[in-house]
Amino acid sequence: MPEIKIQHVVSCSSEDLTYKADNLLKADTYRKWKAAKPGEKQISVILQFEKSEQIHSIDIGNEGSAFVEVLVGNSTCVKDQDYEVILVTSSFMSPNESRNGTNLNRVRMFGPDKLVKTNVDKKWDRVKIVCTQPYNKSTTYGISFIKFHSPPDPNEVLKSSPPKLTKLGQFIVKEEEQGTPPLKPGSIFFNKKPQSSPTSINQNDKPTPSYAAASLQSIGLRSNSSSPVAAEKPASLAATAPKDSTPGKRKFEFTKERQAAPPPPTKKQHSQDVEESSLPKATLTNSVPKKTKGETPSPSQNKSPKEKKMASKPPKSDVVEFHRILEGTVFVLSGFQNPFRADLRDKALAMGAKYRPDWTPDSTHLICAFSNTPKYGQVKSQGGKIVRKEWIMDCHKRKQRISYKHYLMDGAESSSEESENEDGITDEDDDPPKHKTPIKQKVISPSVGSAKSKHNKVSQPAISEKPGPSKPMESNASRNPEDNHEMAGSSDEDQAGNHAGSESDSGMDTEDELRRVEEQNRKKMQDEDPYGASTDENSDLEESSDTPDVNLPIPELPDFLTGKHFLLYGEFPNGERRMLNRYITAFNGTIEEYMNEKVQFVITAQDWDDKFEDALIENANLSFVKPRWIYACNDRQKLIPHQPYVVVPQM
Amino acid sequence: MSKRKAPQESLNEGITDFLIELANYERNVNRAIHKYNAYRKAASVISKYPFKIKSGAEAKKLEGVGAKIAEKIDEFLATGKLRKLENIRKDDTSSSINLLTRVTGIGPAAARKFVEEGVKTLDDLKKVEHKLNHHQKIGLKYFEDFEKRIPREEMVKMQKLILSELEKLDPEYIGTICGSFRRGAESSGDIDILLTHPDYTSESPKMPKLLHAVVESLEEIGFITDTLSKGDTKFMGVCQLDSECSSFEFYHRRIDIRLIPKDQYYCGVLYFTGSDIFNKNMRARALDMGFTLNEYSIRPLGVTGMPGEPLPVDSEKDIFDYIEWKYREPKERSE
Repeated sequence: MPEIKIQHVVSCSSEDLTYKADNLLKADTYRKWKAAKPGEKQISVILQFEKSEQIHSIDIGNEGSAFVEVLVGNSTCVKDQDYEVILVTSSFMSPNESRNGTNLNRVRMFGPDKLVKTNVDKKWDRVKIVCTQPYNKSTTYGISFIKFHSPPDPNEVLKSSPPKLTKLGQFIVKEEEQGTPPLKPGSIFFNKKPQSSPTSINQNDKPTPSYAAASLQSIGLRSNSSSPVAAEKPASLAATAPKDSTPGKRKFEFTKERQAAPPPPTKKQHSQDVEESSLPKATLTNSVPKKTKGETPSPSQNKSPKEKKMASKPPKSDVVEFHRILEGTVFVLSGFQNPFRADLRDKALAMGAKYRPDWTPDSTHLICAFSNTPKYGQVKSQGGKIVRKEWIMDCHKRKQRISYKHYLMDGAESSSEESENEDGITDEDDDPPKHKTPIKQKVISPSVGSAKSKHNKVSQPAISEKPGPSKPMESNASRNPEDNHEMAGSSDEDQAGNHAGSESDSGMDTEDELRRVEEQNRKKMQDEDPYGASTDENSDLEESSDTPDVNLPIPELPDFLTGKHFLLYGEFPNGERRMLNRYITAFNGTIEEYMNEKVQFVITAQDWDDKFEDALIENANLSFVKPRWIYACNDRQKLIPHQPYVVVPQM
Repeated sequence: MSKRKAPQESLNEGITDFLIELANYERNVNRAIHKYNAYRKAASVISKYPFKIKSGAEAKKLEGVGAKIAEKIDEFLATGKLRKLENIRKDDTSSSINLLTRVTGIGPAAARKFVEEGVKTLDDLKKVEHKLNHHQKIGLKYFEDFEKRIPREEMVKMQKLILSELEKLDPEYIGTICGSFRRGAESSGDIDILLTHPDYTSESPKMPKLLHAVVESLEEIGFITDTLSKGDTKFMGVCQLDSECSSFEFYHRRIDIRLIPKDQYYCGVLYFTGSDIFNKNMRARALDMGFTLNEYSIRPLGVTGMPGEPLPVDSEKDIFDYIEWKYREPKERSE
């Protein structure tokens, strides 16, 4: 989860002479941004990212504000209304604390589950931070730091997860099969760690849940949200496997990746990889040349959601996630009365459309009840698309984007319609510039990179046998060739191409393929050549990755559950099972799938069950404990007695 | 909160009475909830007015009294009655609807349906009992009892009984009798209990057992006599104090018990303590200060108007604190 680099302050409503807004850019030191004078009701600052990024999490250190809100936008935004909320107004100090001036420097971390869902998946290059302090008119306030993080690389963990957690490894691998971006414990700590330095400087007197808790939660949420879709296509583990490998092959690949810890050296690993792999560390110290740094975060940040999307997408690519069916549609309603109006609006919003109360230049559709409304006239004269309400209702009913053309109010087609997306396929065509940006897992996990290149090697002959079909397929559901290509080859192409979007990308693909055909005959030699060149570098990387503690700031995981065996029994409310699983595994406990003689603790959210008695007769050492015990252990970061949390028979 | 709002005694009782009658007519017959609220607001502000109103013009100076209501007041002061009201009373349908809505479980819609089917009196209702749902049957059965106000003394007894049962069950339970009783009213229409437990928050799963355990124990001691509905978080039913050791015969009373997550409890207590007019004013104040307040939470509003995260609330005072209002005891919350 690389930190997003902030380029400059665009504007700010007010700043102190000493505590300037510019201070927010200097993350390495503990500085603050404060209002110019006391008693200002609201202050805001707009920051510019170096480039468009997805925001995965936000950390904020307070400096006397009661509430902080974060909005996102793009450089093209002119009006305030163009900004959308990504972090809703959040409380940092109570009225009392504000008046007494206590707990001024609370730090809160907001994971993806705390951010506004519809805006987490999109890219933004500007953020606006709004602070308010209505309760104290005599102090100046602001924030001491703010950090944004792009999504973690889904694969980085394979490397950084400690080898002893093999159980966990399997657990995650299974998750990955379901198309979940595999986030693993090591990675979270690794990602979170960089922030802890400023945090610790603050008097973090009333901390939000621990890093572990926060991140675990966020992960649980993510996986939950994605798994239903993913279930449709179990084979989506192919996300990392070559597209035309047989199932058996896939499996093989997969096991490879599973034990990716000691991967063999890869071919075509360019020396640039090395440079980049040192980046995470370098970013921390803020000493890396700007150019390289700017390139680093975005690719990996892009990867996870996109890959998730691709993975969950069956070959026929017109299945679009429900909440993105109408993505890109900006609609205006006219002539509808509540409650139907609200209903219609909610339906459209649920499918990812945006609503405007009045026609704006960015509006795309007017949903109109009658052809004589004022808005109808206005929009018609401006050449907007005017459609009947059935368009929304049918899209909603059939859960797919239907061409609006069948629903035009007057049949007249407007000029701008060519650019309109017709269905999921075109919808996706909009995406490539985003998801085809290079993916550099190696930034964080060189081992994975090499594992991937293995795929490349396996799949290469197959691809070159039929170079024709492979290209269209790429632009459809399978992103793997790109993966391979980018993983293995892109770094020795020009870097600019990586950013240039689909066209140059596929161009490179073709080139790549041509080269593959060419090289088919002297493949062996080819293999040897780059191997020979890159092996050293690669093994260097592995060495560094073998000792993550030295190289990467992973906090120690307490393993106070070592040797304890757990069984999670019965129903748990949404996501809790996963959370427990993760906590227990993180603290080195062992989770048993089934009841056996090793089990010591049965974690259950249920009340006493007669089956418990039977189980006790079988195994007298069993304890039935409420999940709260695990959470309590996590809170204290040590093993606490389970007795207060046991489930007992009811009288 | 009771369906029937007892008009408060005041110098201008005649006026407030007819306003309340008009209000109920608008709600029950015309289903015009906003007119209902407008009449009630006017009635409330007039009941607070410390002088006897001499003219519509005088009343019109009060907030919530407009030209139309002033006109009606003039007519009432001049003639002692109101033609509109006379007509309403004469109108068979309206009065029947008004009557039927007094049965718990029969709202304006159901009442209208019954009246259209020719069911106009309670006796008619008894004849078509098969058409009534469980709730309405109980409402009919205890119609007379439910019409009776509950004296404060009896409310206090019930409060004591319920809270001691809670204590026995689990000392961690927190229970509050809300409604007009909490505001110090001399009598109440029904009894409304809010219940929470520290284990139960909006983050945790539903815990219907917390509610059902309480209901069952109250049934066991014979306090709860009937169930109208029982869900995961809300129980509606009928209760009656034991009359044995008392010379007085206690009536059956309507009782509601709501289980509320701890973090939402105080917003709930505030809301269910009312009065509803006070609630409206408080919400308006909250909006002015940039917050949105409802029965679950208070949230700050962002620059785009999007509500923020629910703010931590550990007492009713906290809510007043957020919107920078001086804390008002329940007694002071009639508006």
